Amino acid sequence: MQHQKPPYAAIFWTVARNSLIREMTFRVNFIAHSIALMSWTGLQLVFYNIIFQFRDSIGKDTGWTRYPFFMFLGTVMVVNSLMQTFFMPNLREFSEMIRKGNLDFVLLKPIDTQFLVTFNRIDWSSMANFALGLGVIVYSMIQMHYMPTPLQFVLFPFYLLVGVSIYYSTVLLMSCSSVWMGRNQSLDQLWFYITTFSRYPMEIYQGSLGVPIRWIFTTVFPVLLVVNVPARVLAKPLDMDQLPLAGYAVLVAIAGLFLSRMLFKFSLNKYRSASS
Amino acid sequence: MIAKLNLWWMIFRISLAERLVYRGDFMLSTFVRFLPIITQILLWTAVIGAGDSDNIKGMKIGDIIAYYLLVTVARAFSSMPGLTHGIAGEIRDGEIKKYLIQPIDLIGFLLVKRIAHKLVYYMIAFVPFAIVFFLLREYFSGWPPVHTLMAFGASLLLAFCIGFFLEATFGFIAFWWLEVTSLMFIYMLMNFFFSGHMFPLDFLPDWLRNIFDCLPFQYMAYFPCAVFLGRMTEAQVIHGLWIGLGWAVFFCLTANLSFKWGVRRYSGFGG
Amino acid sequence: MPTIDVNNLTKTYRVYQKKEGLWQAIRGLGRREYKQVQAVRSISMQVQKGEFVAFLGPNGAGKTTTLKLLSGVITPTDGNATVLGHVPWKREDAYRRRFALVMGQKNQLWWDLPAQESFRLLQKIYRVPEDQFDNTHNELIDLLGVQKLLGQPVRELSLGERMKMELIAALLHRPEILFLDEPTIGLDVVAQHNIQKFLKHYQQERKITILLTSHYMKDITALCQRVVVIANGQMHYDGSLSGIIDEFGGHKNLTLQFPEGVDSLPDLDKYGKVLEVQTPRIKLQVPRSEVGAVLASILSVHPVDDVSVEDPPLEDVIANVFSTASNKEEMAST
Repeated sequence: MQHQKPPYAAIFWTVARNSLIREMTFRVNFIAHSIALMSWTGLQLVFYNIIFQFRDSIGKDTGWTRYPFFMFLGTVMVVNSLMQTFFMPNLREFSEMIRKGNLDFVLLKPIDTQFLVTFNRIDWSSMANFALGLGVIVYSMIQMHYMPTPLQFVLFPFYLLVGVSIYYSTVLLMSCSSVWMGRNQSLDQLWFYITTFSRYPMEIYQGSLGVPIRWIFTTVFPVLLVVNVPARVLAKPLDMDQLPLAGYAVLVAIAGLFLSRMLFKFSLNKYRSASS
Repeated sequence: MIAKLNLWWMIFRISLAERLVYRGDFMLSTFVRFLPIITQILLWTAVIGAGDSDNIKGMKIGDIIAYYLLVTVARAFSSMPGLTHGIAGEIRDGEIKKYLIQPIDLIGFLLVKRIAHKLVYYMIAFVPFAIVFFLLREYFSGWPPVHTLMAFGASLLLAFCIGFFLEATFGFIAFWWLEVTSLMFIYMLMNFFFSGHMFPLDFLPDWLRNIFDCLPFQYMAYFPCAVFLGRMTEAQVIHGLWIGLGWAVFFCLTANLSFKWGVRRYSGFGG
Repeated sequence: MPTIDVNNLTKTYRVYQKKEGLWQAIRGLGRREYKQVQAVRSISMQVQKGEFVAFLGPNGAGKTTTLKLLSGVITPTDGNATVLGHVPWKREDAYRRRFALVMGQKNQLWWDLPAQESFRLLQKIYRVPEDQFDNTHNELIDLLGVQKLLGQPVRELSLGERMKMELIAALLHRPEILFLDEPTIGLDVVAQHNIQKFLKHYQQERKITILLTSHYMKDITALCQRVVVIANGQMHYDGSLSGIIDEFGGHKNLTLQFPEGVDSLPDLDKYGKVLEVQTPRIKLQVPRSEVGAVLASILSVHPVDDVSVEDPPLEDVIANVFSTASNKEEMAST
């Protein structure tokens, strides 16, 4: 009894259930939020449709023609919606808690603090984009008369997970840094700038401006891998040059999770010795 | 009359001082706001490079980048952060009463306050804007002629007026419907697309362009940029300025009327 | 072995001295100036199982910090402590399952949901078996009389009702130690009384150990046998409530009722400090040792209808303790 693991799955389900009950009590908000998210996505689709009226692909000989690129966009939506549903509200709250010195109750609970902080609540309304993203992916496949191999069926979700882990670690690292910075720069702003760079195919990062950026966002802040790797697995499976990239992404995800956990613990200790 | 001017001048000065307090983080955040321009440059370079011609509908890469830069200027005039929410919030909390008791015209008050805030913003944001424009100067083909600059200035003023009165009208909708937040969000999305904030409206098919010409949105972003870049004939510019003016007057009326009717309804409740 | 054993517990932290203006903010990025704040200075005490101890002290005295140290939320700068045989700031799950912290100023329940849903989540987190959960839950709900409120979102509850729910949330896993930080803050008299009644009953029933901080003397007089006075992070008194008056209340209050219709009241300044004149009544503050003598001499000279001798109100005594504490502090620092 004493050494039994806390029932993390049961806690997760209770949180998921409570979050759903909560959102159902604000039904109008829930619907409005879903609609707003989906219209934003719809506008993106219109935008790229317009681009494809003038050009056959994004970038010369990149292979990002209309439907592969729409698969890419679908992947962007899926990954972002997973982040918004599960992690962003919680990590935002975490950095708020650090700043306002409100971590007391979280630190008291007899379970892993990172788990509690990470799955504090779930924003189900952001799942609208998940469905929409999957829809876009499937639609593009049908248009291309393209059937993924069983291996792709396994690898795509796996690399989605890898991508989300990289995002998660990045945002966790940033929210931990509010222990030192204590600044008012909101996490959402940072998130916005990250996604600004990660939501395009790597191939557009060319030239004297693009190459350094590509380098930074694959090594220092490796967020370019987040969407690019799973999208490639699905849309450009025959590229052999992506193998090292795919392996690298897994390594980055593991390293990221490890690093962010270290920093998380470190910043908690820092918090605990710095506050009264 | 003099007393009234004095009053406005005082409101203006107070708002100016109120705004200057925050100048610290301001410049930095203005800089950061230009970051997405980088990905726009890269994206459009890739897009244009994928075809045989060096332009899309007559816009070369330089024009497109210059367009996105100019859009940030136009939006600095036409966007009214916090206006709708401020008004709706004051109506919801009953704070609006304060203005009904005082012998002051609420819309005028908000307008003067907004002008003061905008001026401070331009003063501070001038430095980051100048630096970014200077760094990316190669995308511009020199200064346009003086009369184009004048038309550009006029179009920016119109952009400000349309933006202000339109968002004020949205705020007064709260007299009838308290939750304007979701409405506002949808409006912002529409505006982002229809105003030309997202991409140059030139890329739209002609029939859509003709419709957009008549809508108010493009006068808040696309029109001033197109004027500056010399993408319109003189006749088109003048024509556009008239339509823009028409919309500014229209929204000025809707703002005033919705306020008047809203107050009547509000005091009818005895709130 | 005492339930709580504290030795020379000390907590110092730094606050960043923020400067005004952009230039200062930029300079602050490089070199920052800090101020050291001593929240708790070398506190030592033992608490036995089943005690109900109150921490008394002005704002910022270090009461809350002490509770946070004992619950392991923060780490001390120096000194050591064991609670139930654990070092709190090691934050072992085994320890964290055995106590609870309730803060009057903060809430842990989900704001938009009925409290019931938060209870369920806590059940999972603390691994409370189903039947035990049902028992405890029902018992607490009965005791606090909140059956009807369980289905209401927490945000719709009154402050007092919310505090009851917070207490249930804290007690669901049957903690052996309860830390209460200002549990009745902001509550009206009736709600305060209800919470006090509940705490008293629960503590006697379960024989749990409770440490409480409060501003309200009523809380303390109603609940605690033992009082610890903290000011400026230091302990100034540890003992029974009545002992405070013996130790710090050097005076008694003498109320003299003169006959109706007396036009001029006698001048009593020479006997002691006149606190209040409400014709025909006078309240006088007299050093404890002189009460007998003063009373005798007044009665021998003036016609007096009624006399009462009282201890000064506890609030005044405590305020006195605090001010002497901070005076001592100033003396020491100069």
